[in-house]
Amino acid sequence: MAVDITLLFRASVKTVKTRNKALGVAVGGGVDGSRDELFRRSPRPKGDFSSRAREVISHIGKLRDFLLEHRKDYINAYSHVMSEYGRMTDSERDQIDQDAQTFMRTCSEAIQQLRTQAHKEIHSQQVKEHRSAVLDFIEDYLKRVCKLYSEQRAIRVKRVVDKKRLSKLEPEPNTKTRESTSSEKGSQHPSRESEEKPATEEYPEKVPAESQPELGTWGEGKGDDELSPEEIQMFEQENQRLIGEMNSLFDEVRCVCGFSGLLASVIAFPEMVLPQEAEIDSIHQLVVGATENIKEGNEDIREAIKNNAGFRVWVLFFLVMCSFSLLFLDWYDS
Amino acid sequence: MVGVKMAAAAGASIRERQTVALKRMLNFNVPHVKNSTGEPVWKVLIYDRFGQDIISPLLSVKELRDMGITLHLLLHSDRDPIPDVPAVYFVMPTEENIDRMCQDLRNQLYESYYLNFISAISRSKLEDIANAALAASAVTQVAKVFDQYLNFITLEDDMFVLCNQNKELVSYRAINRPDITDTEMETVMDTIVDSLFCFFVTLGAVPIIRCSRGTAAEMVAVKLDKKLRENLRDARNSLFTGDTLGAGQFSFQRPLLVLVDRNIDLATPLHHTWTYQALVHDVLDFHLNRVNLEESSGVENSPAGARPKRKNKKSYDLTPVDKFWQKHKGSPFPEVAESVQQELESYRAQEDEVKRLKSIMGLEGEDEGAISMLSDNTAKLTSAVSSLPELLEKKRLIDLHTNVATAVLEHIKARKLDVYFEYEEKIMSKTTLDKSLLDIISDPDAGTPEDKMRLFLIYYISAQQAPSEADLEQYKKALTDAGCNLNPLQYIKQWK
Repeated sequence: MAVDITLLFRASVKTVKTRNKALGVAVGGGVDGSRDELFRRSPRPKGDFSSRAREVISHIGKLRDFLLEHRKDYINAYSHVMSEYGRMTDSERDQIDQDAQTFMRTCSEAIQQLRTQAHKEIHSQQVKEHRSAVLDFIEDYLKRVCKLYSEQRAIRVKRVVDKKRLSKLEPEPNTKTRESTSSEKGSQHPSRESEEKPATEEYPEKVPAESQPELGTWGEGKGDDELSPEEIQMFEQENQRLIGEMNSLFDEVRCVCGFSGLLASVIAFPEMVLPQEAEIDSIHQLVVGATENIKEGNEDIREAIKNNAGFRVWVLFFLVMCSFSLLFLDWYDS
Repeated sequence: MVGVKMAAAAGASIRERQTVALKRMLNFNVPHVKNSTGEPVWKVLIYDRFGQDIISPLLSVKELRDMGITLHLLLHSDRDPIPDVPAVYFVMPTEENIDRMCQDLRNQLYESYYLNFISAISRSKLEDIANAALAASAVTQVAKVFDQYLNFITLEDDMFVLCNQNKELVSYRAINRPDITDTEMETVMDTIVDSLFCFFVTLGAVPIIRCSRGTAAEMVAVKLDKKLRENLRDARNSLFTGDTLGAGQFSFQRPLLVLVDRNIDLATPLHHTWTYQALVHDVLDFHLNRVNLEESSGVENSPAGARPKRKNKKSYDLTPVDKFWQKHKGSPFPEVAESVQQELESYRAQEDEVKRLKSIMGLEGEDEGAISMLSDNTAKLTSAVSSLPELLEKKRLIDLHTNVATAVLEHIKARKLDVYFEYEEKIMSKTTLDKSLLDIISDPDAGTPEDKMRLFLIYYISAQQAPSEADLEQYKKALTDAGCNLNPLQYIKQWK
């Protein structure tokens, strides 16, 4: 744990001063001390380098404050529920983007200038090292602030692309959405052209030649001019990978649509089967009942036939008996 | 005798505390807050050799850069004036350093000066600086003066040494040599007490001190106790009631400081070791977590035969961040070799995986049909790409440890250290010896004369009764034949 002895030091300075005054020793400016200090300061070159470096830093600080101030509006104004006060039109956003880009470019140019100048002027090794380190710090600061900007930009671009892809997946019924997206595309065209121009001036190889709007938006989405060639390459590779991913997802979704149709028909089938089964069961019951009845009927008929036959026999026997009795009575009487 | 291992106290380890203190100092003594969109502030760091030893195990050059240090220079080197830049000084308050600082003030090298003294500066020296500042009319330029109380070197999370530059000043020899005067003893004690005091200030706790009576340890303990009491008596200005210290921590968790004199156990430092870290320290050039290796390039003999092999000097840092080192620094050496092999295998497997994915991705890029495979591979590729820096780091560590282990192995083979180790273990645990001591000493290619002397001393120290005169003469003759100096033997005889 450190102990601050600055006050002790100042006290020692005072004691030394009083002691020297008491001893009558000239300290190299007792009364003139303060004036001497001022005089000694002014002829010493304040250092163009450091003053200019601080200027650049203050510029970058201004840019950072500006970006942070408008960041909320930039991102949030996509929810159209917000009031008019907080909304930011697309043209305003593009304005912000453009201003930020030019600002960043001027800052990086200033840094480059400082670097060349620093190396020309001073010959001491240590000072050179110090200055290049200072310039590295400033560049790093600029990069961090640019990151703020590119993050915002990436969010916005991503939203636009998502919207376009959603509208693509439902072609027929939503002519309204298509109109809205085309109007959005239209509003974006002038801004995109204006942005592609400065972007293409600096990095013509970055904006791909395809006319597909997605890739075009991706290409300009990295309109940040401060990227080194390796970063450009990395971003391109990332782009390609993301494109592949999106395409694959899209195809998967299409397959899924087909499958879901089949699934629907398949699901309908069991719904028909169940009542049919119930019906068949009842019919089966009826049939079984009917068979029973028929069997019983057969039995009854057989019995009836038997009864009939027996009855006939008795009737015949009775008739024959009656006729024989008549005949007998007739023979008896005559 | 100068390395101190601390039982884990509550809260941050001493290494973290010292790092935090250093970072705060570098940030103009304002607690350091990480701000991702903060403006850059640049400064120059000036240190002396003591400061360099303290900073180098804790902060790498990159970390210094992150704190905004553009240049770091030695105090006593030629320094050019750099205008408009604040300078942070981190030096010991010795006479030469103070003179050099006054000279800097007179030459007006920098814009503002933040003076930080490693241990407390005396009032008279402070007045010297005040004098020089007045003479140079630079009083306002001296922005802050601090006593940092960081006069110790932390090597690991819980191990620190007292100093590296003047090691001989506080070594065993300095304290125990027969021709030491009282004043010299006092200075040595003062140095030790100062370092220990700074340690406890940084730790933020007052220890309970225990020591063995009648030894140098008792002297140190008494002095340290006195110093602590003096400091605590003045409750307002006490160093131990800072904002880093909760009251509970103070009263309930006082660490225990045990001061032990080396004379209790002389055999252990002479012992040949078998664990990785100890071997590196014993066999190679290992200071302040840095190993310096001389690598001979190429094992193939040059056909002409006359050209000597080129030797590259390489130095490696073995830091607490190095996971392999942390895991295996206490393991016996064969285990270390195996683990290096294992790490190499796993690294190769991961490398092959990445290559395979690369080739698959190359093929699949044109064929849009295999949808599911593609999405699966993109996921794997993303994870492989993100783990690439880890892989590279792993490779670097494996290379490092392979080189170090190979160097150690060469030494072991040349000096037959494993034989020494086993034998000494047997001696120290007083089990029966299968080989006679004389055999080993007379063996011409079993180690340097120093090794043989060490072995004999251990035997002598751990022997129950002193060997007979005849035996001793025999051993002495054998040792002299092997080329040893017999002075250590005289001292040990005296010591016994």
